[in-house]
Amino acid sequence: MSGIRIKNLRKSFGTYTALHGIDLQVPNGTLLALLGPSGCGKSTTLQLLAGFEAPTEGEIWADDVLLSSARGVLPPEKRGISLVFQNYAVWPHKTVAENVAFGLAIRRLPKAEIAERLDRTLRTVRLEALRDRYPSELSGGQQQRVALARALAVEPRILLLDEPLSNLDAHLREEMRFEIRQVHDLLGLTTVYVTHDQSEALVTADRIAVMKSGHLQQLGSPEDIFERPSNAFVATFIGANNELAGTSEGNGAIRVGSHVLTAPDRSGAAHGGTVSLCVRPSQVRLFGAEEKGLPAEGCNVLSGTVRRSAYLGEYRDVLVDLGGGRTLRAFIPPAQSFAPGSVVTALLPIGSCQILGPAA
Amino acid sequence: MGVISTDSPDSAAAATARPVMARVPLARTVVFGAVALLLFLLVVLPFGWVLNNSFHDDLTGAWTLGNYARIFQSADLLEPLFNSLLLAVATAVIAVGIGVPLAWLVSRTDLPFRRTIRVLTLTAFVTPSFIGATGWILLAAPNSGWLNALWRSLAGAEAGPLLNIYSMTGAIFICGIYTVPYSFTMVSSALDEMAVELEDAAATLGSGTLRTMLSITIPLVTPAVIASFILSFIQGLTLFGVPAFLLTPTGIPVVTTKLAEFYQLFPPEIYMAAAYCMPLLLVTAMLFWMRRRILGRKQFVTISGKSRAGRRIALGAARWPAFGAALLLPLVSVFLPYAALLLVSLTRAWGQGLSWENLSLHWYWWALFGNSETHTAIVNSLLFSTLAATMCVMLGTVVAYIVERRMVFGASLFGAVATVPIIIPGIVMSVGFFAAYTRAPLNLYGTPLLLVAAFAATFLPIAYAHGGSILKGIGPELERAARSLGAGEGRTFLSITIPLMGGGLLSGWFLVFIPIIRELSVAVFLITPKTNVMTTLIYNAKDGGNYEAVCAMSVLLLLITLALVAAAGPLTRLTTVRRTSRKSGRKTAPAEGVLPT
Repeated sequence: MSGIRIKNLRKSFGTYTALHGIDLQVPNGTLLALLGPSGCGKSTTLQLLAGFEAPTEGEIWADDVLLSSARGVLPPEKRGISLVFQNYAVWPHKTVAENVAFGLAIRRLPKAEIAERLDRTLRTVRLEALRDRYPSELSGGQQQRVALARALAVEPRILLLDEPLSNLDAHLREEMRFEIRQVHDLLGLTTVYVTHDQSEALVTADRIAVMKSGHLQQLGSPEDIFERPSNAFVATFIGANNELAGTSEGNGAIRVGSHVLTAPDRSGAAHGGTVSLCVRPSQVRLFGAEEKGLPAEGCNVLSGTVRRSAYLGEYRDVLVDLGGGRTLRAFIPPAQSFAPGSVVTALLPIGSCQILGPAA
Repeated sequence: MGVISTDSPDSAAAATARPVMARVPLARTVVFGAVALLLFLLVVLPFGWVLNNSFHDDLTGAWTLGNYARIFQSADLLEPLFNSLLLAVATAVIAVGIGVPLAWLVSRTDLPFRRTIRVLTLTAFVTPSFIGATGWILLAAPNSGWLNALWRSLAGAEAGPLLNIYSMTGAIFICGIYTVPYSFTMVSSALDEMAVELEDAAATLGSGTLRTMLSITIPLVTPAVIASFILSFIQGLTLFGVPAFLLTPTGIPVVTTKLAEFYQLFPPEIYMAAAYCMPLLLVTAMLFWMRRRILGRKQFVTISGKSRAGRRIALGAARWPAFGAALLLPLVSVFLPYAALLLVSLTRAWGQGLSWENLSLHWYWWALFGNSETHTAIVNSLLFSTLAATMCVMLGTVVAYIVERRMVFGASLFGAVATVPIIIPGIVMSVGFFAAYTRAPLNLYGTPLLLVAAFAATFLPIAYAHGGSILKGIGPELERAARSLGAGEGRTFLSITIPLMGGGLLSGWFLVFIPIIRELSVAVFLITPKTNVMTTLIYNAKDGGNYEAVCAMSVLLLLITLALVAAAGPLTRLTTVRRTSRKSGRKTAPAEGVLPT
């Protein structure tokens, strides 16, 4: 097992730059999720880590071993890094056992040890009963487990997972999330998990690296990412979010249209800089326009018109038109109800609001 | 595991000038070097020598443009060019004129015995046209031809011959009927692949059958029709055997036979022959370029036997007349010539007429065991074809892999070189290999290697394209998975890629073997008595007038070819890797039993 250190990693394909200098540390034994929309550079990072691509600039280290730099790349087969592919890449001409034992045979281990490790790995992913099946006779989830077992059997020092659940149906996906986390807890492998699904990242990862257009936006624990996003992009990408664009009025204040709102300021922007006020819909409270004695203490107060309201059982999802092309989403208790067209007052607790800058 | 570099992070900054661990492995260098060398020897060098020779004078060896000047100044050399163009245009017109309607009948209508017509057309496909010509010499030689004899017995002895196969018309007829299968296959597969919904969409908008055919079906297959016209044109232009058999005896020269003539002169005008290849090369290169433009990247047509599941156009009362018309091609390209060859080969002496006493397997026994020359040729044909097909598929597959996975900078150049022979007519290939390998330091004249290499080079484009199309269907992740588990590039190729290519490789082997064993023109300048093959033996023995032996050899060659075609399908299916377990999951084999040790 090794920790990973990525230093100023850049990758260009012709004139297109996929990665603009990424710095990233993955301590030994942690599970890092690389999270971002498609085209953010997360898969490129994974290909670089696995050794299938050479960086344009920068270095990748596994503990004190230099794996990749612009001057050379340790070939994939010499890295001790296992990779689980999005489409599983289980070899259709080999049985489950043959797939899993492939890496062990490559290492010329004694037969007895191969058999022992094969059995152990198959047990870990609960595939003992299917060992002589061919992949065409397995379900998607089972193939996924074969791919995982194959990667684990060789006892890699680093495990890479490339969108491993995106081809599974929703129900199975949820189950496999926990299974992957369980395997990680059992083996303690340094793992990099690429995904575009924020809830997958939140469930499985120790640390999350959010990426966009080849830049690292934030690296932190799931709580950091969700509660203290470093910019408006991260806030919007993770969970539901309201983003009210405006300009900075100095520390702790933002001008949104004619309103000046206050919130903890983490944008670092100068007076007049482009910033956004971010607040989760679950923190927004709505009241009828005629209601008196609102608990407005410590809140930003906005008013608007309800445009639509959807009943979702556990809460109501209400969209409020603030005028000037701005809208605000609020998740309110289902007992409360506003007809479209009714005028409402929205309270945004200052402590739940944040002033954030745009994406890096 | 796998700690390679012991650089500490702190020393890394200081060590920036030091190259990181990856060096190009030795094995990789060796493989790429070998592939580059083989491509150079098989394609670049022969072609280079033809080009070089074309600028030299045969008598003095000095640099000259005289050879080219002679082509345009001498009527002797211009006439074959015109004759070749005439033969090519007429061949293409016949091939498309018969092949397209036939394809439509088989693919789109309720013609009876469609499968049989398809199989018979395929039989014509694999019949070497010079053997067809031999059969037709027996049928339609002006005096001795059976059809002419039949005509005389009907019309009276003083009537002239009905047919004369030794004529431009005869050559056009033979080239035409043996090229029809090309256009038939291309157009029928275009029709088969076309989605029925496209026609149905027109029908739902109120278009009748005829209207649909004119405005939907025909435009959709037009590219295939044009491409098959071009391919047929090239066939007519580059065929050597048919004009050598049918036109040379009457003194009508075409480019390919004229090339052979240069070699038979004394002293042979080999440099002149090289220059004379150029007009041929220029035309084929241009036509292939046009064909590529029309077909896009889809260069080779796959021969598939699956029939369309959709509705078929009812021919009604025309059903049986149409069947009769569809049988005409198999009649003239398979039944009649095969019957003639078979009958003559089974008589002890053809001159004595058909009688029970005269029937015998004598000439087969003679060809197989009694005569060392024919025996050697049969063994050589099988051996050289096997070696050449194996070499061709191996090289083609490796080149396709390098190109498909972009393994080295400039990989596509490998692919381009491997494709070049497609524009080189067989007879020019023969000229090229003669030029390159009958001199020091690589004098291979008289060795089997010369023929094997020439055959492999000629059909390399087929093997390369076939390998590429299989590899396109194998996701690179399957290989990357193996790499990340510790398998090197070579190991990955052998244990993952090759098994996954499986039966496709074998079908590729047949795809190359079959045209090699029936190939005449590539071998024609390269053989020696020791390295004679069946095709060249038939070609040379024909002049000796021993028709019984020629026919026996021809029938043997046909039998071998047809047997291979018949075996190719089942064998390919058999070797396709099993991908389902016979007993699912029930019995658990001991771990050692299933391990790839």
